[in-house]
Amino acid sequence: MLLCSPDRVMFKSGERGIYSDMNLQALLMQLLSGLSSGMLIYLIAVGLSLIFGTLKVFNLAHGAIYMLGAYLCVWLTSSFEQIPGMFWWAVILGPFLVALFGGLVEVVLLRRIYGWHFMYEFILTFGLILIISDLVKILWGGGFHSITYPWPLNGTVKVAAGTFPLYNLFLVAVGVSIFFGLRALLRYTRLGKVIRGVTYNREIMSALGENVPAVYTVVFMLGCWLGGLGGALATPLVAVTLGMDTTVIIQCFIVVVIGGLGSLTGAFIGALILGLLDAFGIMVLPQLTIAFGFILMAVILIVRPYGLMGRREYE
Amino acid sequence: MSSKVQLKTISVNGFLHGVMRHRWAWLVIAVGLMAAMPSFVGMSWVSILCEILILTVAASALNLIIGYTGMISFGPAGLYAVGAYTTALLIVKAGAPFGLAMIAGPVAAIVVSLVMGWFCVRRTAVYFALLTLAFSQLIHIIIFKWYGFTGGDDGIVEIPVPGFLFSIESYYYFALACTVVCLLAMWVIVNSAFGKALQVIRENPGRAEFIGINVRRYQLMAFVIQGFFLGVAGSLLCGFNHNVFPPIADWTESIHMIIACLLGGMFHFFGPFVGSAVYILLDRVVTSFTEYSFLVLGIVIVLLVLFFKGGIAGFVSERLSAGRPKGN
Repeated sequence: MLLCSPDRVMFKSGERGIYSDMNLQALLMQLLSGLSSGMLIYLIAVGLSLIFGTLKVFNLAHGAIYMLGAYLCVWLTSSFEQIPGMFWWAVILGPFLVALFGGLVEVVLLRRIYGWHFMYEFILTFGLILIISDLVKILWGGGFHSITYPWPLNGTVKVAAGTFPLYNLFLVAVGVSIFFGLRALLRYTRLGKVIRGVTYNREIMSALGENVPAVYTVVFMLGCWLGGLGGALATPLVAVTLGMDTTVIIQCFIVVVIGGLGSLTGAFIGALILGLLDAFGIMVLPQLTIAFGFILMAVILIVRPYGLMGRREYE
Repeated sequence: MSSKVQLKTISVNGFLHGVMRHRWAWLVIAVGLMAAMPSFVGMSWVSILCEILILTVAASALNLIIGYTGMISFGPAGLYAVGAYTTALLIVKAGAPFGLAMIAGPVAAIVVSLVMGWFCVRRTAVYFALLTLAFSQLIHIIIFKWYGFTGGDDGIVEIPVPGFLFSIESYYYFALACTVVCLLAMWVIVNSAFGKALQVIRENPGRAEFIGINVRRYQLMAFVIQGFFLGVAGSLLCGFNHNVFPPIADWTESIHMIIACLLGGMFHFFGPFVGSAVYILLDRVVTSFTEYSFLVLGIVIVLLVLFFKGGIAGFVSERLSAGRPKGN
């Protein structure tokens, strides 16, 4: 009987062929999972890069902002369960609240230290990490939270011989839309033009009558919105818990360094590289996968510190 | 009303001037006080004091490079962990005598910092910081993932130390002696011609190059020297805890050292000591009455950056210069 089972028959038809089919299948799955995790990181890292590009502030608390977005999404989803599709409302509302929080932080704290040595930004934003993580603990406790894949994306799609979660494909779509959306925003809208102007030369934009501090606040809020969105969309995939911020912020460092500090296209490419590197690295050297990102980061910093897509000006 | 305030200010400043005039005498008194501490306070406090001493060595080492050379290193924890793990591994795996292992820790840190520094000093500002971070995280990953050698996240436990250093009190005296020796060595270094050259580089690397200072070589030397002292701190920690775990190599540990530096005031030799003491005491005191110690610590850090930019030592010396007659 056993000999008649389909897979057994397949094995008889020639091991070599089956093996390469299996590998192709596995490679495709890894490709998709690398793309989706890369796009998620992109959402978070592009916020960091945007803030660095315009404000020249390296926001260590960006991971904490991401965590805040995730907690808000879980909290909103679970406390208004009776509303159908609450997850999607939470994805809209959560990042918006995070952006408001970010605006408050910028106006009250960061605004005072522009132009100081960058070390003070590091320390101040590290202080913010501590504050945010305890605020989260006070508001939502120290336990684990998780939510299931939301309707209507809780299914899977057939990819070749296997299946792949629909939600992960959705993440890829979101990442790509945000990428083009940001490009369009910066290129074609008035706000985008002002942001680019302020990035190039703050004094001249100020002399032209633009309200530069307000632009800074808007950019910081936009960056926080992106971080919060990343957090909200990550909730079905990761365990929402205290400390989820530190691993993410380190991955964001890698992404923005690979792509080039302040470069939005660079963040996209860097996130793709990191996502794929992790996905395929796990097939080759599972033990060392998490080291690959740092090795790449170190190599980029040594060989081409302004990153793949960055400009030399920050050096 | 105003004259009263004036009087008070002058007397505080007078006191501080006295401190400055008899610097060495006060130093001896301070060391004497630290040495006498164990007979006045309980064991738990001696243990806290010991932690302060270890953080002082690490933060002072970091101050050599941040405060004196002007390079913001984001990866001191990596070198610190190299020191700690070398000592631990030599004792546990190779059965090396304690003294040899304690010396090998800093030596290994020198070797690693030489390799790390060779690449890092070619970068400036944010890029230097990020490169040190990348190297430090690599060290963290190696420690964390190499189960067969370092024990991974199980760490290395029950590291034997010689009997005469086993009690907390005797280890405290050992750590105090090491700290004093290290601080004296660093004092000599920063006040030597070499130390002055580092400060020139901090103020203006371009001009330093012009007057014939090989900036990169000096920066590399400073980086290696801080690596050595970070290694000393790591080895001291290993002997103190009798165990080592991977989190000591993580980037948050680096931030603790940077904060200790900033809190006391970089650009001041004893700033890191003051900072370490305040930081650890603050942490212990706050943790003892609230479970939300991060919140308090975070607020303190934020306020510190906004209002005490120069740190505690900076604040004190500002008061000093305010009280000094003009043109003196």
